[in-house]
Amino acid sequence: MSKPSVAARRLLWLCLAGILPTAELAAAAEWRHRASQRGVTLTANPLSGASRVAFYEARGFGTGSIRPYARACAFSLGMHNSGALPISTHLGDWHAVGADGRKVRLRLPGTWEDEWGKAGVPQAARIAFRWAQFQTENAFEPGDWIMGMATLEAPLPGKFRIVARYRDKKGDHEIVLDRLACAGD
Amino acid sequence: MSSTDLPVPATERRWFLGACAGLVLAAACPPLRAQGRGMAPVPGGPAAPALRLADDDGKLVDLAQHRGKVVLVNFWATWCPPCRKEFPSLARVRRLFKPAEFEVLAVNVGEEPDAVFSFTGVAGFPVVFDRDSKAMAAWSVRGLPATFLVDRDGRLAFRATGGREFDDPEIVATIRRLLVR
Repeated sequence: MSKPSVAARRLLWLCLAGILPTAELAAAAEWRHRASQRGVTLTANPLSGASRVAFYEARGFGTGSIRPYARACAFSLGMHNSGALPISTHLGDWHAVGADGRKVRLRLPGTWEDEWGKAGVPQAARIAFRWAQFQTENAFEPGDWIMGMATLEAPLPGKFRIVARYRDKKGDHEIVLDRLACAGD
Repeated sequence: MSSTDLPVPATERRWFLGACAGLVLAAACPPLRAQGRGMAPVPGGPAAPALRLADDDGKLVDLAQHRGKVVLVNFWATWCPPCRKEFPSLARVRRLFKPAEFEVLAVNVGEEPDAVFSFTGVAGFPVVFDRDSKAMAAWSVRGLPATFLVDRDGRLAFRATGGREFDDPEIVATIRRLLVR
């Protein structure tokens, strides 16, 4: 990607300068979906395709290459371990359940990354993508929290729930986020 | 012809739209009510992996040159909302200690120095660039932001994943304990 002109950099700086107050506003905002149990909290907000396209195009994706990702049903997920035990998650164990009972898995980041490799997406863009996702394997010490984007393998119409599994030394547990819906553009 | 009549090149449009998308995503990804708390001990205190990266002037910064100090190593990116939120606290905690005994190294992942400088300005501590994310892999980072405390002997002592306020009394006390070890 070529470097932006001085004018573009100024424009970017002005925009970025607005991030701090905006982030403060965001901090005051609520996650729209939240569930907790045993000191573990899972949160989610739907992400529109348009915002994802703009975000990833700015990081080196071509319009064509990011299109499949933009069409997917996506969320920002946050998970916080405020309990006393370390926990771990594997995204492959999570799934969504539609109103009709249909189960859909979450798409693992590695599956997208395979596509980016085939599409010749630049390395910097792939690095940004990789670390902006909710990771396939996560480990949370007490006090840790992790956020990232996640997509469903297939869209679900209407409302659905996400069943998220995590493990601690006492065994396997589930948190259910209810009444989610894919973002409309 | 006014300036508003000038055509806007695609690259400029892309950067502008991207920055604005960052704002939209920041609003769509609100931090949890509080940042995380504290840092977890690293079992066994293994030697910290090597960290030798260039800053925005191309000057190499080597973790090894800070042996004898406690060093807080923070992996981050400007597009990561909790990274941005915690970043000012890195400067605050840096100011709480003498430069001869404590240092902060901020490792930016995969971004252009120009874009990073727009956010950091003069950070007050070294900001280095892990352009290919190999340092992240060597440090077994699983998510951003990720932070490590390296003790005076160059060993990994504590780690944290997710945002923190580094001048939080609990973390400051952890650093003080490492300094008197």
